[in-house]
Amino acid sequence: MTEPFNRLVKLAARAFYDDFTTKGDNQPKTGRSDNRGMAVVVLDALTRRQWVREEDLAKSLKLHTKQLRRTLRFFEEEKLVTRDHRKETAKGAKIFSAAIAAAADGQQVGKEGDEKTKIHTHSYCCLDYAQIYDVVRYRLHRMKKKLKDELDNRNTIQEYICPNCNRRYSAFDAMQLVSMEDEYFHCESCNGELVAESDKLAAEEMGDGDDNSRRRRREKLKDMLQRMEEQLKPLTLQLARVKDLPAPEFGTLQAWEASVNAAGRGGNNNGSATDASKSAQGQGYGGTPMPYIGETKVEVTIFGADVKDEGAETEAATASLKVLPPWMIKQGMNLTKEQRGELRPDAKVDGSEAYRDQSDEKKQEQKQEDVKSLEEEYLTAYYEAYARMLEASKTAQGEAEVSQQSTSSYLNGVSDTNSARQVGMKVKREDDDDGGIEWEEDVATGILNELSIVNDPNAQPDGSGDEDDDIDWEEG
Amino acid sequence: MFFHMVLERNMQLHPRYFGPHLHEKLTTKLVKDVEGTCSGKHGFVVAVTKVESIGKGLIREGTGFVTFPVKYQCVVFRPFRGEILEAVVTLVNKMGFFAEAGPVNIFVSNHLIPDDMEFQSGDIPNYTTSDGSVKIQKDSEVRLKIIGVRVDAAEIFCIGTIKDDFLGRN
Repeated sequence: MTEPFNRLVKLAARAFYDDFTTKGDNQPKTGRSDNRGMAVVVLDALTRRQWVREEDLAKSLKLHTKQLRRTLRFFEEEKLVTRDHRKETAKGAKIFSAAIAAAADGQQVGKEGDEKTKIHTHSYCCLDYAQIYDVVRYRLHRMKKKLKDELDNRNTIQEYICPNCNRRYSAFDAMQLVSMEDEYFHCESCNGELVAESDKLAAEEMGDGDDNSRRRRREKLKDMLQRMEEQLKPLTLQLARVKDLPAPEFGTLQAWEASVNAAGRGGNNNGSATDASKSAQGQGYGGTPMPYIGETKVEVTIFGADVKDEGAETEAATASLKVLPPWMIKQGMNLTKEQRGELRPDAKVDGSEAYRDQSDEKKQEQKQEDVKSLEEEYLTAYYEAYARMLEASKTAQGEAEVSQQSTSSYLNGVSDTNSARQVGMKVKREDDDDGGIEWEEDVATGILNELSIVNDPNAQPDGSGDEDDDIDWEEG
Repeated sequence: MFFHMVLERNMQLHPRYFGPHLHEKLTTKLVKDVEGTCSGKHGFVVAVTKVESIGKGLIREGTGFVTFPVKYQCVVFRPFRGEILEAVVTLVNKMGFFAEAGPVNIFVSNHLIPDDMEFQSGDIPNYTTSDGSVKIQKDSEVRLKIIGVRVDAAEIFCIGTIKDDFLGRN
């Protein structure tokens, strides 16, 4: 969707900014430190990212932060890039990193550890596509206009500039500017001598008769115009292609972060949920109310079936108090990807995928002991409900059995769950039961949807731990 | 360019002029008021040719003045962009020269003076061609082309050029 726009940005960068240097042309040593074209690289990098912290960008591009900042400042002035400066603690910065990771499929790992409460100002930047489209068109328009004006001799009204205060005057103001003392125009405010602004594009040729020089100027201008059109043709074509498409919109930094966080948690509508930064809450993945923290919030979110659990990492990043799900607890802290990958018992339908992604993140930080009991309680109820649903649907009886077994073996001393399972029994939860009923039905459908996905990985559990050996995963 | 048009104006007349020759007095006053002025919209009013009609007078409250709406025909002058005029040079400067075409002032900047004419300061600052054939100084007549008109509420100012063919002197 953003591809034509990205191409537009790249073309514009190469057309207009390929000779951008951060030096002020004062230092003549271009041999060693010639970083022309850096602007193009930066713009290209930004096409591959959305909101990005400037430090991170500098790191990934291997540029000096200051240089990058200068370049970005330049682009901000050119209205290609929007920047946002936020005062954040290091923790807040982590939220952002997690969001990035969510959006980029775990390319970036959030910063861990550092829990200082110092507040730094972090700068973020993002390409502003809608504005870029306008800006590029305006630039082209101005270029053509300048050439055409000269061709038509329209820009013949002289302009005068005061060197002291930089005030501009037109020839129309000449009347008021004429001074009695000497023969120059003087500025109104500072009385400095005004300097005429001359025709830049077509430098005049002296000597020849008027006719020739004027004709030559016209030729030169026409030639320039033609060359310009020719060289900018790919850009104009791309502009035309992009004209009718809606520009990709990332919103402000806050909005984007929030939406990405929500998307990561499997927001129902393709991550467009505008949940605020509830990152620290166990908001649950799409449909799988997993109590990650002490608050056993049962998120009765509908199984979106499109659980994009990339954002699972956000949770890990933001809540260092994350709790491992029960089946993970037993296996100790060092959980590898592999382990988590398989450990997708059908019960944890949607969450499993989330966990797979989340495995990269800091599981180690989770303090299981604190909420273990609560978890077990909840999970008991959950499993019961789940099993009940399975029975009710009668589509995966095998899973039910399996889950029963798993349940019994997994949970410590919660063997009474089996007996307690009855159809129609209310799920023991800490939230209101009304929601629970709806939840069950939805969970059922959702689970059914997910079963196919879940079945396969579950089929081959590799050495995930002691508990696995006890269970015979059966295909449903 | 000159135009002959009908304009309207509200004239206030002091009671001392009321009497048998009210209309003549009104006309005189009109002419005195309007001739030589400039409006941004119509240009400079050069001359009033005829007073078409004088409406019924309205007595203003509080004072004894009476307001008459007067319609009159007049000749106006308004410069346009692209117009070619003859003008008389009034001031020669390093930055160009000023010329007058009747009531309107025109400024020609040195950028729009042909390159072969150079400024020469001195007693009588002027612009002269290299071979001395053409000299533009105070009170010389030049033909110039208007390239920009600036219209204020009561003021018109122009920019001109003599860089094209047949412009300048002779």
